[in-house]
Amino acid sequence: MRILSRLASLLRTLFRGRRQDADLDDEVRGYLEELTRKKIGEGLDPEAARRAAWIEMGGVEPVKEEARGARVGVGVETTLRDARYAWRSLWRSPGFALATVLTLGVGIGASTAIFSVVDAMLLSPLPYRDSSRLTFVWSDMTEAGYPRAPLSGPELGDLRTRATLFEGFGAIWANSAALTGDGEPQRLRVGFVTTDFFTVLGAGAALGRTFAAEDEAKGAPPAILLSAALWQRRFGGDPGIVGRRVVVNGRPTTVIGVMPASFRLLLPTDSSVPDDLEAFLPFRRGLTESERGQQYLRVVGRLKPGVTLAQGRREIDGIAARISKEFPEYGSAGRRYDTVSLHADGVREIRPTLLALFAGVGILLLITCVNVAGLLAARAAARREEISLRIALGAGRLRLFRQCLVEGIVLALLGACVGVAVARAALLALVAARPESLSRIAAATIDGRVLAFTAGTALLWGVLLSLAPLAEVLRTATAAGLKRAGQRAQTRTRTVLVAVQVALGVVLVVGAGLVARSFVRLQGVDPGFAPDHVLSFRLGLVGARDGDPHAFNAFGRTFEKEVAALPGVTAVAAVSHLPFDHIPNWGGPYLATPGADETTAPMADYRAVTPDFFAAAGAHLVAGRAFTEADDENATPVVMVDERLARLTWPGRSAIGRRLGLDPQSNGHPSTWATVVGVVRHVRHTSLLEEVREQVYFPQRQINRNPVAYLVRTRSDPAALAAPIRGVLARLDPSLPISEVRLLDGYVTAARGAQRFTMILATAFAAVALLLACIGLYGVVAYAVAQRRREFGVRMALGALPCQVRGLVLRDGMRIAGVGLALGIPAALAASRLLRSQLFGVTPRDLASYGIAVGILAFAAVGASWFAARRATSASPLEVLRAE
Amino acid sequence: MATPTRRTELLKGTLDLLILRTLALEPRHGLAIAERIEQITRGTFVVKPGSLFPALHRLEQDGAIAGAWGESENGYRVKTYRLEPAGRRQLERETEQWKRIVLAMGQVLDAT
Repeated sequence: MRILSRLASLLRTLFRGRRQDADLDDEVRGYLEELTRKKIGEGLDPEAARRAAWIEMGGVEPVKEEARGARVGVGVETTLRDARYAWRSLWRSPGFALATVLTLGVGIGASTAIFSVVDAMLLSPLPYRDSSRLTFVWSDMTEAGYPRAPLSGPELGDLRTRATLFEGFGAIWANSAALTGDGEPQRLRVGFVTTDFFTVLGAGAALGRTFAAEDEAKGAPPAILLSAALWQRRFGGDPGIVGRRVVVNGRPTTVIGVMPASFRLLLPTDSSVPDDLEAFLPFRRGLTESERGQQYLRVVGRLKPGVTLAQGRREIDGIAARISKEFPEYGSAGRRYDTVSLHADGVREIRPTLLALFAGVGILLLITCVNVAGLLAARAAARREEISLRIALGAGRLRLFRQCLVEGIVLALLGACVGVAVARAALLALVAARPESLSRIAAATIDGRVLAFTAGTALLWGVLLSLAPLAEVLRTATAAGLKRAGQRAQTRTRTVLVAVQVALGVVLVVGAGLVARSFVRLQGVDPGFAPDHVLSFRLGLVGARDGDPHAFNAFGRTFEKEVAALPGVTAVAAVSHLPFDHIPNWGGPYLATPGADETTAPMADYRAVTPDFFAAAGAHLVAGRAFTEADDENATPVVMVDERLARLTWPGRSAIGRRLGLDPQSNGHPSTWATVVGVVRHVRHTSLLEEVREQVYFPQRQINRNPVAYLVRTRSDPAALAAPIRGVLARLDPSLPISEVRLLDGYVTAARGAQRFTMILATAFAAVALLLACIGLYGVVAYAVAQRRREFGVRMALGALPCQVRGLVLRDGMRIAGVGLALGIPAALAASRLLRSQLFGVTPRDLASYGIAVGILAFAAVGASWFAARRATSASPLEVLRAE
Repeated sequence: MATPTRRTELLKGTLDLLILRTLALEPRHGLAIAERIEQITRGTFVVKPGSLFPALHRLEQDGAIAGAWGESENGYRVKTYRLEPAGRRQLERETEQWKRIVLAMGQVLDAT
C-alpha cells in the first residue's frame, strides 16, 4: 500500500514534474496569501502585511525547494535535470564535445575490440561440454627433438586400461581421403577418430549421431560423419543425408551424421589437426595393437568430475614410468608424458601476444584518458566564471559536484556509444586479418560480457573525467579571489598531462618499432627455399596404382612430364609435405652406426621428393648429387640429408657415401639402411623462427608416399596454371581429385600471420597515440599562446622579430616534449621487456627502435608546437594591444 | 508570535504526529494546520512553511493524508488535506508510542 503510493508519486515526479511544480507553486503562494490576509485581519495595511508575511515565510522559492527535497525520486529527477543540462552545455561547445567523444570513442572502442578477442581466446571456455575437464596428452621426447610428440595406439590402450581418474581418452589423426561417386572427385581433409572421441570431447552431432562403439565392431558397415561445411557444399544441405551412401577411398560408406555449423576442433595448433576438418572416419579395428613406435595419435582425455589437472597429470606420469619399465621398446630413455589443459595448451602460443596487445591497448586507453582530462581541464578553466557565479548565487557544493559527475558520465556514455561502433568495425577488421593461431576470434562478438566491460570502462571514465572540473569547483570555492594563480596551476596541470601523454606515446611507438623491426627481420629469414612463382596442389592416387610401385611411378612420371610441357613451366616436382602446412608430420629416428641403441636415436623429419624437387622448390644442393629418375623401386635405397644432420652426425667430415638406418614405413625401428648421396641446405618448414629438426629426403620413386603435394615453378603467373593442370589431369585420369590449389607463397605468408597481426595492431596503437599526443601538445601550446598574446604583442612592438617570438613558443613546446621523452624512455625500457616473447632478431633494448621513436616524437612535437607558434605571430602587435 | 521565549524546537518525527492529530478533527489547508498547532500548543511549537510543506508532501506520498484542490473565498486555488484510513492507523500507533515515551521519560527525569 505504502509502496504503491510511493511508486505512484515517483512516477508523478518523473513524468509530471512540471505539473507538480505548478501545483507546489500554487500551494505555497496560497499559503502566503492566507498569511497576508491574516496579517491584514490583525490590522496591518496590505503592503505591510504582505512584507511581514514574506519575511515570516522566508520567501516562496526556498520553501518550494524544501518541499521538492521531500519528494520520492528527487535524486533521479535532479540527475536527469543535470544530464539535460550537461547535454545542452555540450551542444554549446561542439568542438570540445566532438574532440572528447571521438577520443573516448577511439580509446573505448580499441580496448573493447581487443578485450572481446581476449575474452573469446583466453577467458571463454572451449565450446564443449564441461570443457574445463578436458586435457591433452603429449609425448615428451625433448631429447630426440620432439618435446610435443603424439602417442601410439598401444599407449592409448595403456591410458584407457590403467587410468582411473579419467572418464575416457579419445584420439584423432588428421589425414585425407578421396570422396568419389556422384559429382567431381574430391580430396577431403578428414580426421580419423576413435569411436569415443566426440563423447570424450563433449560435442554432439546436429543431424544423426557421432560415432559409437558399434562402428568399430567386426563387420560393421563403414561410416562417415560430415562437417556442416561439407554437407552444405557437396550435398546442398540435404536434410535426408543421414543414411545416404557415399564413396570414400573407393568404398561405399554410410553417412551417420552431420556436425553443427558452429563446431570447431580446437586442438593445439602444433598438433597437426586443422580446426576445419571436412569429415570424420573411425579408425580401423586393432588400433591399440600396433607398434609402440608408431606415434601419430593426438589424445584428448576427460577428467572425472572433481579431479584436478595435477592429480590427473600425476596419474599419467605414473603410468608412463610403469610402461617404461615394462616395455623394452622404450629402452633406456623411457617414456614421458606431458598432460596439459586443452584450453591452456591451445592458447599457449598466442597468449603472450594477446596479453601484449591488451597491455598496449591499456596504454592507449590511458592516453585517451589523459587527453580527455586535458580537454576537460581546459574547459573547466574556461567555465571558471560560470562556476563562481553559481556558487555566489547559492548553489550547493554537493549539487555542483553532482553536476560535474553527471557531465563526465554523459560524456563517457556518448564516448562509449561511439566506442561500441568503433569496436564493431575494429573487430571485423581483426577477424579479417586474423592469423591461423587466432582462428577462434571469428567467434568473438560484442556480447553482454563485452558490453559490461565497455559500460564499466565508461563509468570509470565518467568518474575520472569529472575529477578535473571537480577540482575546479573546489579551487573556485576555496580561493575565489586567486584567479591568476589558479590559472597558472591549471596550465601546469595540462602541461603535466601532455608530458605524460608524450611519455606513454614513447612506450607505444617503441613497442611498435620493436615489433615492426622483428617483422622485417622475419621477412628477411631465408627459409631455405624460394616460395615465389610456385603453384602447389595436392593429389592422391586411388585404386590399383596405390600399392603397385611400377604403376604408381609410371603415372607420376607421365603426369609430371605433361605438366612440365605446359607453357612457362620451368620445374615440376612432388613432395610429401609442403612447408608450413598442417598435415601431420612424417618423421622418425636415424642411426649412423648399425647396432647402436635405437631408443636413444635422434629424430629427423622425413620427406619424399621427386628428382626435380630442389629446382621446383628453389632449395640448395650443398654437396653430392640430387636424386635422378634412376633412383627408383629397382635401385638401392638412397637418401639426401640437410646440412644440420650432416654437421651433427659427421662433424667436419663429408656425409656423402655414408649409410643411415631409417624408418620410412614408421614401424618403430630404424631398420632400412640407405646411402647418403647429397646434402641440402636446411629448409624451414615448421617454424620460420628457428631450425627445428634434422631432415632426411627419400626418393618418392622408392617410397611412394600417397597422397603428395605438387610444386610447379613457372616464369609467369603461377595462378594461371591451375586450369591447364586440371586439364592435364582430366585427360590422364578424370577420377583423381586435386585439392588445395594454392600459391606456395601463401603458406609462408600464413606462417608469418601472427607476427603480421601483432605488427599491424602495434603500429595502429602507436599511430593513434602519436596523433593524440600531438593534439594534446598543440592544445597546450596554443592555449599558452592565447594567454601570452599581450606579452608577445609588447615584445613585437618593442622590436622582437616574429621568428624570435615563435622560438619562445617552440621552446615551450619542446620543453614539454623533452620531459615526456625523458619519462617515456625508461618506461619503454621497462615495458618492452614484456614484449620479449614477441620479438625476433631484435632485443628489447634495440637502439634503432628507440632512436626512431624519439625521432618521430620529437618531429611531431616540433610540428605541433610550430603550428601553435605560428598563431602567436599571425596577428599584428597593434591589433593585439588594441584588443586588450 | 506569542511568547517567543517559550518556543521549542520540534523533536524529529513529532511534526508528522502533530499534523495527523490536527487533521483528525477536520480537513484543513496548510496555513490552518500551522495555526492550529501553534494555537493548541499555545505557541510552544511554531511550524514554519519550510518544514510544514515537506512533511505534508511526505505524508501524502505515504498515503497517510490526501490533498484535494479547492477554491478559496478570494478565488485562488487552495489545497486541503484530510486524514486517510492509513493515516488514522498511523496516528493511533504513534500516539500510543508517544505516550509510552513520555511516561518513560517522566519516570527517568523524576527518579531521584
